[in-house]
Amino acid sequence: MTPTEATRTRPEREELGQQIQRLLGAGRAREPIAPEAAACEVVVEPESIDEIRELVRKCETDRLTVAPLGSARTLSEIRTSRVAFGVSLARMRRVIAYEPGDMTIVAEAGVTLGELNRLCFEHRQRLPVDPREPDRTTVGAMVGASHAGPTRLSEGTVRDLLIGVGFIGHGGRLARGGGRVVKNVAGYDLMKVMTGSFGTLGIVVEAAFKVRPIPENYSLAVRRFRRDTEAFEAAATLNEALAMVHLEVLSPGPSAALGYDYDWVVMAGFAGNRAELDYQRAKIVEVLGSEADMLEGACAESSFASLRDMDFPADGLVAQIAVKPAELARCARECSGEYRAHAGSGVAQVWFEEIGEGTAEQTVTRWREMARRAGGSLRVLRAPETMRAEIEFFDRPSDGAFSLMKRLKQTFDPANIFNPGCFVGGL
Amino acid sequence: MSATPAKEKRTGRTLVEELAAIVGEDGVVSRPTELKVYECDGWTVEKSAPELLVLPRNTKQVSGVLKALHRRAIPFVARGAGTGLSGGALPIGAPVMVCTSRMNRILAIDLANRRIEVQSGVVNLNVTSAVRSRGFFYAPDPSSQAACTIGGNIAENSGGPHTLKYGVTTNHVLGLELVLPDGEVVELGGAAEERCGYDLVGAVVGSEGTVGIVTRATLRLLREPESRRTILAAFPDVDSATRTVSAIIASGVIPGAIELMDRLIIRAVEEAFHVGLPADAGAVLIVEFDGYAAGLDERASAAVEIARRYGATDSRLARSEAERALLWKARKRAFGAVGRLAPNYATHDGVVPRTHLPQILREISAISERYGLAIGNVFHAGDGNIHPIILYDERHPEQVRRAIDAGRDILRACLAMGGSLTGEHGIGAEKMGEMPLMFSPDDLLAMAALRRVFDPGERANPNKIIPRPGACVEVAAPHRQVPV
Repeated sequence: MTPTEATRTRPEREELGQQIQRLLGAGRAREPIAPEAAACEVVVEPESIDEIRELVRKCETDRLTVAPLGSARTLSEIRTSRVAFGVSLARMRRVIAYEPGDMTIVAEAGVTLGELNRLCFEHRQRLPVDPREPDRTTVGAMVGASHAGPTRLSEGTVRDLLIGVGFIGHGGRLARGGGRVVKNVAGYDLMKVMTGSFGTLGIVVEAAFKVRPIPENYSLAVRRFRRDTEAFEAAATLNEALAMVHLEVLSPGPSAALGYDYDWVVMAGFAGNRAELDYQRAKIVEVLGSEADMLEGACAESSFASLRDMDFPADGLVAQIAVKPAELARCARECSGEYRAHAGSGVAQVWFEEIGEGTAEQTVTRWREMARRAGGSLRVLRAPETMRAEIEFFDRPSDGAFSLMKRLKQTFDPANIFNPGCFVGGL
Repeated sequence: MSATPAKEKRTGRTLVEELAAIVGEDGVVSRPTELKVYECDGWTVEKSAPELLVLPRNTKQVSGVLKALHRRAIPFVARGAGTGLSGGALPIGAPVMVCTSRMNRILAIDLANRRIEVQSGVVNLNVTSAVRSRGFFYAPDPSSQAACTIGGNIAENSGGPHTLKYGVTTNHVLGLELVLPDGEVVELGGAAEERCGYDLVGAVVGSEGTVGIVTRATLRLLREPESRRTILAAFPDVDSATRTVSAIIASGVIPGAIELMDRLIIRAVEEAFHVGLPADAGAVLIVEFDGYAAGLDERASAAVEIARRYGATDSRLARSEAERALLWKARKRAFGAVGRLAPNYATHDGVVPRTHLPQILREISAISERYGLAIGNVFHAGDGNIHPIILYDERHPEQVRRAIDAGRDILRACLAMGGSLTGEHGIGAEKMGEMPLMFSPDDLLAMAALRRVFDPGERANPNKIIPRPGACVEVAAPHRQVPV
């Protein structure tokens, strides 16, 4: 039996909120504000693991749906109906342990990436995951949605850095996997299972990460091109010659939004000690020519921040393709929209600023088939609310893999209460 | 328990015939004398031969074999090269062993995308050998890399010295073909970096053969670094060496590798290979930096300076590729060299937070004295992954017992310092009994549930990783036979 997802009346929502106050205490439930309102009917703000356990048990007993919110950006964009409870971990934002000598950090899931990195910065370290707006990205959301950004090329993604996880799942049980050390193969890898599971298996309450040293110097080479082919060729040559920190190709729209002319632009980050920097700069000039801008210091940092925080059109159709790296240029072009391509990683965000009524599904299908032909897949990141119902946000894996996924969901969430209905294949 | 009860065979003649029809006559081994070789892997403390060994050549045959076993509800264990160190390939209640050694083909090399597709029986080193001339390598490099297979590496989530910088197996596997215990073949992941839906590839890597048999893998290749600097630094004691490790990493650069060998290992290695390690040193570190040639000298001299500050008596740079290769040969064959010091040895694989290395090594030294057994240390110091090698003589049952107990004490000390039971060898049969010390019953419940997603009947490598509630002693004891 699927828990009810029908929209509740205001008095019904108030009653749900009161139930939570009775269960967990005053001030634990509130009305959702935007963008939460698109994702849930009541926001619950627990203060402890025990309160989340109570909440999950109630949801299983009363067949009420529940989803971890983060700052509700992702969830509000992928849900077509609202869950009863959105769990905000705004009151669970403790850094449990930061050991600079061991280069590990453990935090409650409500801590934002920005907070973590300000702490690490004191020791010239960082958690090198760079989704948009780190101050609005909680640890829980970063794990749940597997958010990543440009530095995935050199530092990997959440799955490469997450060394321990704790989540509240079926029965209100707290399960932990991994630990607090950088190398660890004891037991099954629950970190991988939770990363990118979009809250469908339980509520992540804490996470442990490896952190990395901040490079001594970071520089950014920027070069505009009149053609996309030239931009991608230059990026490919750089990727062959050097180990770039990140390597983006932007189409004219985002390029202009970042203050460059309406052209294709390559943004190549590189880092190291002085000798390494000089060596790389010389190579980059060989490839990009002397007209490339070489940004250093604060200027490079702020340009990187703009690249990282770049937003996609609010009312457009936005998707992420992940294909074989050598196929990325062709796919980005064939999407015939705007894009930010992570060259070398084979991942790009592609979008149309506007999408005509009724054409979203057709576009997604076209993009998806193209990504599949290039050995990959496509995930829709954002679509106008009116068109969401017609679109499958997550690509389907092979039949065999999907039946394992169904079993995984049924095993970890037999009551089907955790963020149901919006993940791959409707899980 | 002193003796294994006489086992009733679960593999009759009809099964042998059916399997032979799938893999060919030469692909089924049933003679006990021939099966003796397969009675253990690198964890030699426990031994138990399978009733049958099957050697398939391709996915279809693996699927056929597992279907035949599924119909009879017969458990099985997969084996690659048998170099595992935790008894992962030890049959415990698994009458049939499926060995992947004949599935040793490299299927596709795609340098434009930095991918390689291999059958799971391909030897680890052969992956790098296939692409080295084109300037690429496969990063995970366990000491046994000249023998161990990619399938075994995937099962154990293997590491190696250079995983400090480059990550372990799970960071390099993009796609898998897995034959489930009922014989169904599933494709997981692929050639792209992002996955659709749950990360099942991540769940399979490190599952120690308990979710089915991996038959094919798509791996990530990396560009060979332009240049390397390899430093050998000698210290009066392990304490100063381990402090140096933390200081080098705290200086803000992750070296390619940092390996430590203590006095006992230095002696063994020197006797075996004559590489010129300083025989009077209490410990040596091998520190390797890799990357652009331009910045390496600066990095190497900074590390040498740190080592000197922390008490190194001597530091030298490998002057040629041959000298570097010799150092690594010494390091990777350290385990073999130890064989000269005692008839038997057990290698452990605990992890501590890196800054606790001095404490754990003092603790190991105390344990060595307490049990009257020599213990050598050669390990991946950069990530706190210790490999104490306990020397013993299996002809003395009482020594075997002491070796087991000393190993347990070391692992408990690792856990007390916030560490882990295993950094790269796996839990296997060896450390199953210790799992409840590291994980709560609810943690283990979630892990067991994950395993049953793939293997509801728990027939793939049964009796591993997770002890049955309240029964861990019964599971382990009958097989913990003391060889005579």
